[in-house]
Amino acid sequence: MFQKYLWLLLLCSATLLAQDNPCEYRLHGKVIDFHDAQPLALAQIYVYQLQRTFTTNDSGEYAIDDLCAGEYRLRVSHLDCDVKEFTIVINRDTKKDFLLEHHVDELDQIQVTADVHDDHESTQSSTRISKETIESYSGATLGDALNSVAGVSALKTGNSVVKPVIHGLHSSRVVLVNDGLRQQDQEWGVEHAPNIDVNTASSIEVIKGANALRYGGDAIGGTIVISPERILVKDTLMGKVILNGQSNGRGGSVSSTFSKYRDSGWYQRGTFTYKRLGDYEAPDYVLSNTGSELGAVNVATGFKKFEYGFNINYSFYQTELGILRASHIGNASDLVRSINSGQPTVIRPFTYEVNEPKQAVVHHGLRLDGYRRIAGLGKLELDYSLQFNNRQEFDIRRGENSGRASLDIDLLTQTASAFLNIDRYENTDLEVGIDGMFQINKPDASTGVRRLIPDYNSYRIGAFASWMHQPSDQWILDAGLRYDRFTIDAQKFYIQSRWEDLGYDEQFPDFEVSETGNQILTNPQLDYNLLAFTMGAKHIFNDHYDVAINLSSANRAPNASELFSDGLHHALATIELGQLDLKQERSYKLNTTFHVNKNQLDVEVNPYFNHITDFIQLIPTGIETTTRGAFPVWQYQQLDARLLGVDVSYSYDFISKKIEELSRDDLLVTIKKIARLDGHASYIYGDDLTGDQPLIDMPPAQFTNRLTWYQLGLKNFSAFVSNQTVLAQNRFPDNDYIVTVPADNGQFEDALVRISQPPSAFSLWDVGVDYAFAKAKLALTVSNVFNTRYRNYLNRQRFYADEIGTNIQLQFIYNL
Amino acid sequence: MKTVKITIMKNNLFKVAFLATAAVFISCEDDDPQAVNEEEVITTVEYKLVNSADPNDEVTFTSTDNDGEGPNAPVLNVSGPLTAGATYTGTVEFLNELETPVEDITEEVLEEADEHEVFYVVNTADVSIAKTDTDDDGNPLGLDTTVTVGTAGAGTLTVVLRHEPNKPNDGSLTDAGGETDVEVTFSVTVQ
Repeated sequence: MFQKYLWLLLLCSATLLAQDNPCEYRLHGKVIDFHDAQPLALAQIYVYQLQRTFTTNDSGEYAIDDLCAGEYRLRVSHLDCDVKEFTIVINRDTKKDFLLEHHVDELDQIQVTADVHDDHESTQSSTRISKETIESYSGATLGDALNSVAGVSALKTGNSVVKPVIHGLHSSRVVLVNDGLRQQDQEWGVEHAPNIDVNTASSIEVIKGANALRYGGDAIGGTIVISPERILVKDTLMGKVILNGQSNGRGGSVSSTFSKYRDSGWYQRGTFTYKRLGDYEAPDYVLSNTGSELGAVNVATGFKKFEYGFNINYSFYQTELGILRASHIGNASDLVRSINSGQPTVIRPFTYEVNEPKQAVVHHGLRLDGYRRIAGLGKLELDYSLQFNNRQEFDIRRGENSGRASLDIDLLTQTASAFLNIDRYENTDLEVGIDGMFQINKPDASTGVRRLIPDYNSYRIGAFASWMHQPSDQWILDAGLRYDRFTIDAQKFYIQSRWEDLGYDEQFPDFEVSETGNQILTNPQLDYNLLAFTMGAKHIFNDHYDVAINLSSANRAPNASELFSDGLHHALATIELGQLDLKQERSYKLNTTFHVNKNQLDVEVNPYFNHITDFIQLIPTGIETTTRGAFPVWQYQQLDARLLGVDVSYSYDFISKKIEELSRDDLLVTIKKIARLDGHASYIYGDDLTGDQPLIDMPPAQFTNRLTWYQLGLKNFSAFVSNQTVLAQNRFPDNDYIVTVPADNGQFEDALVRISQPPSAFSLWDVGVDYAFAKAKLALTVSNVFNTRYRNYLNRQRFYADEIGTNIQLQFIYNL
Repeated sequence: MKTVKITIMKNNLFKVAFLATAAVFISCEDDDPQAVNEEEVITTVEYKLVNSADPNDEVTFTSTDNDGEGPNAPVLNVSGPLTAGATYTGTVEFLNELETPVEDITEEVLEEADEHEVFYVVNTADVSIAKTDTDDDGNPLGLDTTVTVGTAGAGTLTVVLRHEPNKPNDGSLTDAGGETDVEVTFSVTVQ
């Protein structure tokens, strides 16, 4: 439906464009912040020849109509920025984006060139999430916010644990960088959500490849770069408060940010967030024990000058979240019962209380960094960071052990790095860097449960160089190379029979240290040499079309879970085994981006191809029997994988209005978008080439479309309706197995454990209105309007319960 | 010329970075980690039947899994056949033999009787098992049982311990729900 309409409009606009009148040229585009590519609203463009000032709208867009052919001089200014002057020759309709710089220090002082699609200033495929979008997810999780990007899905455990999946890959394959700091929060776990408060982000960039070599060469899926608000060098106090209430979970959140900037260069900033939710509710029942509580603090201070500066940042994040009670099961027979019953086996009245099973996580991050500009060379940056992460997981236990954590791991990470950005060449940008990481993982031995992840120390030392060159306005070329050496030195107790069963007594006799009871202490020491590279080219045909191609290759060392796991996984009733002789995983990813920006239509198509050798994945290997009954055994093994996919995103302002008003002596002209249709779609086709079968857990095809009407009746009043449709994943490996279940009549039944079949397709509708007044904004959103019952293939709890039903959310934002 | 300059800078930079990294890599004291003995694993299930009429007629069903979650399957042992027509008094015991001294998990089950229940499933037509003990709420617990044996035959006996089942329930595994802590199956002969 939408598509037909779109094509029709596309055709109409194409015919309009064909007309050629001497004094009816249009100059339009965006004014963008050079630093983070955010659009600048209320920027002023003064045209000397016309003696008129034009202002950008909320999206940073401007349009100047009825221009004759000729040369025009423009002065572009914005409240917080330096004034820039440009000369532009008009002989046809022209699109020109202007870049302004908020902080002078990072600016190539000589000249700012106007550039088209600054948000794609390299060859990589990347998407930015705007501040407005982030704000709308204030009461949700980082993973939910990321899910709004084409090609990014959410891997969930219930509704509180949400991990980003980029182009089908997640966990250790996705690098998260928060304020320049690579997040180390035991991200190997599928049930471990990123310990980052979404409210500290002002901009989130999703890089869908291994291009951000500065942060590591192991981003096989991609990198997510979260940046805080830019630092201003002027006397000002800024603040923001976001209050959020929601019906599903019967709770909400409060978040506030305050920033004090000074002309002298000193600044202070703080963000505080608190969130509390009770049990979520599915359309037909309460999802018992899914409440959560979260507190986060982020404070920073520093000094910023052109020549030098420094920053100290401390962040704290703590959360306690309940795991659906019904998802804690004993053995495979229980799983069969859960799957067959069609609804959770435990349903209790709504409560805010969180009991076992639950997770309690604390994350501290401290970062010190400083920079100095070296005249005629570039910028030297030194960084040191310390992160401490503690994760406790509580299972349902018996007797005196109840209330005691079953898993309690401390992870201490220190990193130090030095970067040099050489920007002395006019069209070339070079960056070199070296960094080191030292990590200590220490599980608490007093849990009374064998350690899931052993004690280990790991070391990484790496160096990289990257190069970006713009031979002309039409070409961007870039390349980069990174090498890392990674060592992991672990001390792990194996059950003796397991050590022998896996053949390690013959393969790794050197690792054996001593024997205690039926366990053996081992000291595996493993080294990996990791190489990553990226290269790409981008061609900008004209103001409307550009195309980019990028090849990146990443190497990832197996993580602690893949190497050392050994034990029972309660949520899925499986025995999961690591493998000590895993090799590093290597990916070769080809990303292409086609971008059209014509009239009010902006379309980006991103097909990609990712070939991964030695892809590490859990593979079912057999059934083992214990006193608890039978369990399927899954072991981390390596296979060759191929992922093919395409992401499409578009936005189309199909109705916009030009507003002219006389202010002082100037005529102010602004274009206001009235109605916009936007959306994205993604499809991925993943294959296990070794097993000749589809890859497991690939996000199903999905598309999201949203219609927004601005200025609805009242000024500053807008409304939207959006639809998300997720198809059923029809490509999946068949890992079903048969388990013998004792029946009540004393006989035994062979029951098929249907863990493979993905859930059916679903379609969800959301509606919302918002009203901006003075410095505030009030937004009311209803998600899953029709209270649709559905389950999600990428939710680990899909075997136990439906997803949440209707949620009414009221949000109030106040800007100081 | 320019290239040379960069190289020099880079060298200095590497030195600085190396020193910085070296300073950070202060190794911590290496304590050998302590082995953790699984405290909740049930390694041993022992179901002991004593003939009410003849105390010398004792039949014991034992399942022992000394490597807990390890790859080895439990070792099953049945001391002998049941006597046709007899009535036995049964008691079940759950032990963790990985701990020293051996931990008697039956005590914990008894303490938290309202959160546990033992189920016995037999497919030998002529053997029936009745629970004789109850928890504080008067619901069946199943640590103590009476086993009534009919005519000769053979079949299996499955002992299931459920944690946090629905109580009261209709006596069936399906209705009880909860999570399975023990599920072992023995062969039974009646002669």
